[in-house]
Amino acid sequence: MIRYIVKRLLSLIPVLFGVSLIIFFLVRMIPGTALEMYMGTQVEATPEQMVELQRIFGEDKPVPVLYMEWLGDIIHGDFGYSLRTGRPVFPDILSRLPLSLELTLFSLVLALMIGIPLGIVSSLHQNTFGDFISRITGLLGLSLPQFWLAALMVMAFSGFRGWIPMGNYVGFIVDPLRNLKMLFFPSLAIGIGFAAVVMRYTRNSMLEVLQQDYIRTAKAKGLKHRSVIYTHALKNAILPVITVTGFNTGYLLGGAIVIEEVFALPGIGRLSLYAIYQRDYPIIQAVVMIIATIFVVVNLITDIIYALMNPRTRLDDTTR
Amino acid sequence: MKKNCMLSIAISVLMLLVTTGLFANGAADNAGAKPVVEKVLTIGVDQEAVGLDPHIVTAFSSHRRIDLLYNRLTRLDENLSVVPDLAESWEIPDNLTYIFHLRKGVKFHNGREMVADDVKYSLERVLDKKTASPGRSYISLITSIDIIDPYTVKINLSAPLASFLNALTSNNLSIVPREAVEANGNLQKVAVGTGPFMLKEWIPDNSMTLVKNPDYFVKNSPKVDKVIFRVIPEAASLLSGVKSGDLDIAIINDGATIRQADKISQVTVLSKPGINVRTFGFNTTRKPFNDKRVREALALAINRDEIVSLAEFGMGSPTGPIPVSAKEWALPLSKLPFSAPDYNRAKALLADAGYPNGFTFNIVCSSTYEGGLAVAQVIQNELKNIGVTANLEVVEWGVYIDRWVKRDFDSMVEIRGGSGDPDRFLYRTLYSTGGVNNFMFKNAEVDRLLDLGRSQTVPKERKTTYDKLQKVLAEEAPVIFLYCPNENYVLGPRVEGFKPIGNGSLYYISETSVK
Amino acid sequence: MEKPRILKNGIAIMGLVIILLYIIMIIVSSFWLPFDPSEMDVKHVLESPSFGTGHFFGTDEFGRDVLSRIMKGSSVSLIISISATALGAVFGIMMGIWAGFLGGRWDNFIMRIADIMFSFPSLLMAIFVMAVLGENTYNVIIAIGIIYIPQFARISRGAILSLKSNEFIRAARSNGAGNIYILFRHLLPNSMPPIIVQVSLSLSVAILLESSLSFLGLGVQPPEPSWGNMLSSARKVMMIAPWTAIYPGLAIITLVLGFNLLGDGLRDILDPRLRNVS
Repeated sequence: MIRYIVKRLLSLIPVLFGVSLIIFFLVRMIPGTALEMYMGTQVEATPEQMVELQRIFGEDKPVPVLYMEWLGDIIHGDFGYSLRTGRPVFPDILSRLPLSLELTLFSLVLALMIGIPLGIVSSLHQNTFGDFISRITGLLGLSLPQFWLAALMVMAFSGFRGWIPMGNYVGFIVDPLRNLKMLFFPSLAIGIGFAAVVMRYTRNSMLEVLQQDYIRTAKAKGLKHRSVIYTHALKNAILPVITVTGFNTGYLLGGAIVIEEVFALPGIGRLSLYAIYQRDYPIIQAVVMIIATIFVVVNLITDIIYALMNPRTRLDDTTR
Repeated sequence: MKKNCMLSIAISVLMLLVTTGLFANGAADNAGAKPVVEKVLTIGVDQEAVGLDPHIVTAFSSHRRIDLLYNRLTRLDENLSVVPDLAESWEIPDNLTYIFHLRKGVKFHNGREMVADDVKYSLERVLDKKTASPGRSYISLITSIDIIDPYTVKINLSAPLASFLNALTSNNLSIVPREAVEANGNLQKVAVGTGPFMLKEWIPDNSMTLVKNPDYFVKNSPKVDKVIFRVIPEAASLLSGVKSGDLDIAIINDGATIRQADKISQVTVLSKPGINVRTFGFNTTRKPFNDKRVREALALAINRDEIVSLAEFGMGSPTGPIPVSAKEWALPLSKLPFSAPDYNRAKALLADAGYPNGFTFNIVCSSTYEGGLAVAQVIQNELKNIGVTANLEVVEWGVYIDRWVKRDFDSMVEIRGGSGDPDRFLYRTLYSTGGVNNFMFKNAEVDRLLDLGRSQTVPKERKTTYDKLQKVLAEEAPVIFLYCPNENYVLGPRVEGFKPIGNGSLYYISETSVK
Repeated sequence: MEKPRILKNGIAIMGLVIILLYIIMIIVSSFWLPFDPSEMDVKHVLESPSFGTGHFFGTDEFGRDVLSRIMKGSSVSLIISISATALGAVFGIMMGIWAGFLGGRWDNFIMRIADIMFSFPSLLMAIFVMAVLGENTYNVIIAIGIIYIPQFARISRGAILSLKSNEFIRAARSNGAGNIYILFRHLLPNSMPPIIVQVSLSLSVAILLESSLSFLGLGVQPPEPSWGNMLSSARKVMMIAPWTAIYPGLAIITLVLGFNLLGDGLRDILDPRLRNVS
């Protein structure tokens, strides 16, 4: 097991290296530079001023050289300074990360709360009218554009004071109530779509488990139907649900970009969106690196949990 | 089996209800627990400040904070006239020399008195090329700054500059203390000004808290203890913030939202033609726009009223080359040629120029407010009337700026920062070597009039020059000046005494109180 | 317990019916639209839906007919969704087969590339691609297609791997069949079911991605109507004119639902493990 984890950890290195390479060159392929954005359309500058500014904005060196410098820096944990605000990048991201992570987690919880019960109902009543309705409801949830739902929520509820509190993000520990109120609707907007995914996996996985011999045996032995479902079937059926949940963290984090924008939440999604608009390269690079790291680590943890819960998995690369 | 099904549904519904219930209680709790001891004014804005160094920042959002943190030698009042600020009075012995008498007893937020040396230091910092200040071009004609005594400064110019006093109202020429710059490298993250408010806390992309400056030099001002800026990018959310009482004042650009605010009884809408100008400009070096007749023909196809009502929901005023809000200078559109729709004449001009069947060209625009996508769509539709096909090149804002800088466009819809003084707006925009003349427009008569206008100090003579200039510009039409968007504020019921200026400045926040 | 047949395949059929209705609408809209979707009308700005004026879904902020724009936009959305899926499927399946079939170093290399592409949140990746290439309809297709490549690669690789060790492949191999023959005769046809399901889901996600991109101002650009950019411009006026946001939103939901129903139904039909459990 340890060997497996170490091996998997090592395999993350080329992936993260590849991400760093792609993002560094990709952001610089976007037309327009940070300096141009800073100057806007209303400012005049002399050629001497421009030379000085180009030096400040790091536009005086070739890109590969800049990349090597940056790579050296991030290995030492230095993500550099924002080109737009001059603030160090890492603390800025760190202050926004809790919100996005909480938003992701909260929408995950909502999705599981909605998706698992619906999935169970659906599987127990396969091909009945109830199954039909709950599947269509689930798929409907999956078909809603998140931002549209979010915009409708803002339209419907923001007129009521306190329903969607604005302004400072407060941590869950500081003020749990305000924190939950801030994040409930945004999480719901992201979670509804994912609930449908959870539902589908729960249903399919339940169906698979239910037709296995030991469940049939248990039923035949006259165990009460409910206890068969909850003790035997559900326990085994939940495994693929965990897997799909883990693998979709990236999807949820991505959903946060649009939702944070609509609800005006200061998370890393919105930070990265503005950084792209402003060509604030150090911020974009750092955000992408951090998201990618979270993503691969969550995937790794998911794999490990899966392996621990299901000893039959072969711990080598071919199962991936 | 049925029972189980119902049970599961019931559980999930219950779970939802529990969470929703949490909320309803919370809402009630919070509403009652608001402290009323301190007078706090909360302002909702759509963009975060980029930095706070008055000499360095270019972003509009940063300037709105600097309005409250710093002072300049002169400032504008609500009629856009120049009035004293840190300079109590001034003398102009000849049109190359300005002597400013400073207010006594003005203190920086660090407690030290502001004196003549600070004025000299600040303006020299702006003039220093290493500072890369956008304010440099406003005062580049300064040759020397002499300190006569701690409260008197003499500024010498190399050539007459009629707009000099107006230029000094720019936030980019704020007076700052040397020691604060030296201690911090620059003033991007700190604020040590003389202004009515002092920086207390700044949580980027979230909020900025300013507290009252107890030593502010204006008596009984400011009238509130604290000002909080909240960054809320959505216009609709800003409005609902005022409606729900979370915000006292919201600054909203978007016309549709203002229309909606008009219908809400709890809020007051203040709307005033701003100083910025929406323009539709041509690359005068590209075919067919190198032909004056083509530009004139397009100008004759433009219906400004229609553009204002469709693209701005009526929240704007049609204008000519000088923003209508600069009332002493602007000529009414009716007195300017090529400024009302006339399709037949336009078609005749096109035929004359060799395009009897019209032509096809591109309009560069962007989906941000500044990028004028809505305006471009209306223009595209209007040009169909004279048989000209406009294709929209809708680009992302960064690309838009890139195209602007590289002058890579046939035509472009823009918003231009105007000024109450015609020299400050038109010289850099249309002088053949003007810094933001990206139309690459060159015209000897226009250059002559611009040079003349900036050297004339007698208002009546100056007015004649700019009247002439406006007519020439309307006829040459290197750029079509469309309208001045309104400056809009939505105020909650508690707010008293706030006045918009017309150039976006928030100076009157120091006169504003809350009930 | 006896189940009516329709309920078993009903989901897929419902999906198919919705999609067919849209296709009919697209065909109709290429011949006839109630109004000119790009014609502005100052006198009829933001009119609410009414039978009297003929604007059944109301008008937008430029006085254009919302229904006509939805109809015009449907072909844009469908073209993007189909082309992007095709792009992602072709390249992804090629990568996946290559990796799964050759195995070893090739497999490792190709799947690392897929891992790297996977580590970008999909919307963020699409935003980058749009920013680099510029905003127009073709680039939306490329941006979404790129997101799909690693997904198809993974699925087709998985399918090939699970088949490779099967009895019948070994039998074919021992009978002297060549690699290419085995690939096209046995592996590809048998790995189709999961890919078909993925295709129908990708079709639905593409429509949502297009609308998210356009909503952020990075997708299909006006005056060309797309459902996403209609919603984007409706965001400003939705408080005074909710119909400008609601109808394009419903158009998106219905078509996406159609693809999702089809995908989910196909999964039931194609996945033998899920048949007839009781």
